[in-house]
Amino acid sequence: MPAASAIKVMVVDDQTSMRAMIRRTLQDLGFKDIRDKAGPVEALAAIKADRVHLIISDYNMPDMDGLQFLEAVRADPVIGKTVFIMLTGSADKEVVQKAAALGVNNYVVKPFAPAALKEKIERVFGELA
Amino acid sequence: MRRVSIVQGEFHVVSEPDVVITTLLGSCVAACLQDPVARVGGMNHFLLGEPGADAPVGPADMQRYGVHAMELLINAMMQRGAQRSRLRGHLYGGANIIAGLGGIGSSNAAFARNFMETEGIAIGRCELGGVQARKVEYMPFEGRVRSTSVAEAPLLPRKVRPAPALAVAGDVELF
Repeated sequence: MPAASAIKVMVVDDQTSMRAMIRRTLQDLGFKDIRDKAGPVEALAAIKADRVHLIISDYNMPDMDGLQFLEAVRADPVIGKTVFIMLTGSADKEVVQKAAALGVNNYVVKPFAPAALKEKIERVFGELA
Repeated sequence: MRRVSIVQGEFHVVSEPDVVITTLLGSCVAACLQDPVARVGGMNHFLLGEPGADAPVGPADMQRYGVHAMELLINAMMQRGAQRSRLRGHLYGGANIIAGLGGIGSSNAAFARNFMETEGIAIGRCELGGVQARKVEYMPFEGRVRSTSVAEAPLLPRKVRPAPALAVAGDVELF
């Protein structure tokens, strides 16, 4: 049973309020090491310099979307296997299928309850302690 | 002149002239956002959630509904060419019309103001609170907005649509 406190997370969303909300949700679940960035470009640089175990990223972002971000992560020889969970809108079924093809580990539909995020994380890491 | 009327839970974005978006507000809030350079703008109309005996809505849940409502509007505007850094907006609504609703209007208003500050979106007009319903007319391309008090409250807005259920799991099951 992995301890949530041992899992390093990078949260990527262009909306400040959303990042703050996800951060609070993760803290409530026991996560301690949470970083966040407003866009994939900064996030990629940050996680290449200091690796994380889990990336939680929005899909809908202006400069590089969540799918392009996922593709860039998977293409990297060092961080390529990092767990990637994507946040999507309710109408983005096509996005989910593309993300699955690109190797996403799971996805969560916005707006989501804390229990939904926990469940999706646990499906990848196992039950959190 | 084309008129587009929106109700609770909806939003509309326009990037062409001569379109007016209208809505009728009680305790709900409408944010009228604009990117004055791209001349893209839009309005939403949301209620954070109603406290009820059977389905109590906690502050954290209310926050989630509001953040989501704002995100939908902003994303739609950005798809039409708006840039987040250029956004500015006006806020209307958040009246406490029915006594005993637990000040839901005030909560909506506080959320909206807080959101704009967190996101760094400059607030132009801010007509929040009070006890009267408002009619808002917004022309996003021109950047013009007008709010009038509605004496005869049409509210509670007919059986209001409940806030969207929070998804516990997505409905596309891939894993």
